[in-house]
Amino acid sequence: MLNFLSPGNLFVFFNKINKLITKILLPLAIVSLVFSLFLSPPDYIQGDSVRIMYVHVPSSWIALACFSLIGFLTIFNFLFKFKNSILIYKSLAPIGMSFCLISIVTGAIWGQPTWGTFWAWDARLTSMLILLVFYILFIFSYKFIQNQNLSSKICATLAALGIVNIFIVKYSVDFWSTLHQTSSVKILGDTSIDKSMLVPLTLMLLVFLVYCALIFLMKYRAEIIRMKKKGLKRL
Amino acid sequence: MNLSIFTMGGYGLYVWSAFAFTFLVCFFLFLKSRKSLKKLESDFKDEVKKLSAEQVDTLKKGKISKEILTSQSKAK
Amino acid sequence: MLNKKIKNRSLAFTLFFLLSIITIFFSLKVLDDNVLYFLSPTEINDKENINFNKPIRIGGMVKKNSIILNNNEIKFVVTDLKNEIIVSYRGTVPNLFAEGKGVVAEGLLQDKKFFIAKRILAKHDENYMPPKD
Repeated sequence: MLNFLSPGNLFVFFNKINKLITKILLPLAIVSLVFSLFLSPPDYIQGDSVRIMYVHVPSSWIALACFSLIGFLTIFNFLFKFKNSILIYKSLAPIGMSFCLISIVTGAIWGQPTWGTFWAWDARLTSMLILLVFYILFIFSYKFIQNQNLSSKICATLAALGIVNIFIVKYSVDFWSTLHQTSSVKILGDTSIDKSMLVPLTLMLLVFLVYCALIFLMKYRAEIIRMKKKGLKRL
Repeated sequence: MNLSIFTMGGYGLYVWSAFAFTFLVCFFLFLKSRKSLKKLESDFKDEVKKLSAEQVDTLKKGKISKEILTSQSKAK
Repeated sequence: MLNKKIKNRSLAFTLFFLLSIITIFFSLKVLDDNVLYFLSPTEINDKENINFNKPIRIGGMVKKNSIILNNNEIKFVVTDLKNEIIVSYRGTVPNLFAEGKGVVAEGLLQDKKFFIAKRILAKHDENYMPPKD
């Protein structure tokens, strides 16, 4: 298992699926844009502004999932000194940060016509902003701290605190009174989104995931080459 | 021409700007990642050129280095 | 295969993680009132020593058939099905403001049953569906 996860094997495997990803991304994106902008119905109260959901919700999910994964990898690396996980979390962090930013900005754009304000300091919105700050601190701490040992320690600290924040983001709408509505899609229990709106939502999520994979592969490749370049000097 | 699909019942500005912002961020991240990757690849190739034939042979035994060098030449 | 170094690091990490959870939990507890974005009419009713000069937010449902439009002024009742507060407001309301829907009002409490709003925000629920015709 760990042998398969070695940088060499992962690298060869990633290059194989790279071609497939570049082929399906564009057609998939066009189909889901047509679905989310034109084919899906407007909401019974919100009208057409509900279409912002199709970019807002999947990007929020990705921002949360990405940080959970980064947190897990960082802590894993801190405990077991598994070098390859550094390469993976370095490749993931910029993606998560971008989607966190997208989530906050599209949320603000959505808030204006529906709530009547761009921003509110309620628990959900504030904890999401804190998540963005965690992403930025995390990226800074591996980019600008040269000492590998120190940087992995700081990253693990940020990851631990960030994971607590992830739970606060997730459950903020249930614990406290917030302007933000509670979750519509639940893993356990009923989903309160009509089926005709779930189609574009799922498609959009798929597009974002494929896009994430594309960026991740480029970033991971760059990290591997950077590592090998250091190795060249030792030849 | 039917303009209703662009105005979206008065919400057009919000909907289109949200989608445009998402697209711009994604596109920017894509360009930035590709640029840094291209630069690293060409730097790597330049450094390999400086090596002796013997060193290149040992380098090509490694799975990763071989993959970098071959896929790079295919792309050009 | 767990050697001593890994054991030590795991221990240090678990300790740190638990500590941070406890710290964050208690700081949220202390901040309790500030974490709440708005208070419901029942919370206002039960609360002692309310500062009537400090702007606050109240939230709940707009009671059915309670909206009264009068020139520039709009009056309605915010309810949480147990207690009610009458809200008075001058200005435009958001598109989604409607009877039977959620609302958050920002402004000054005059007494426990009367509120003058400076700003009205609409709060919508988590249900999404196409219009029925």
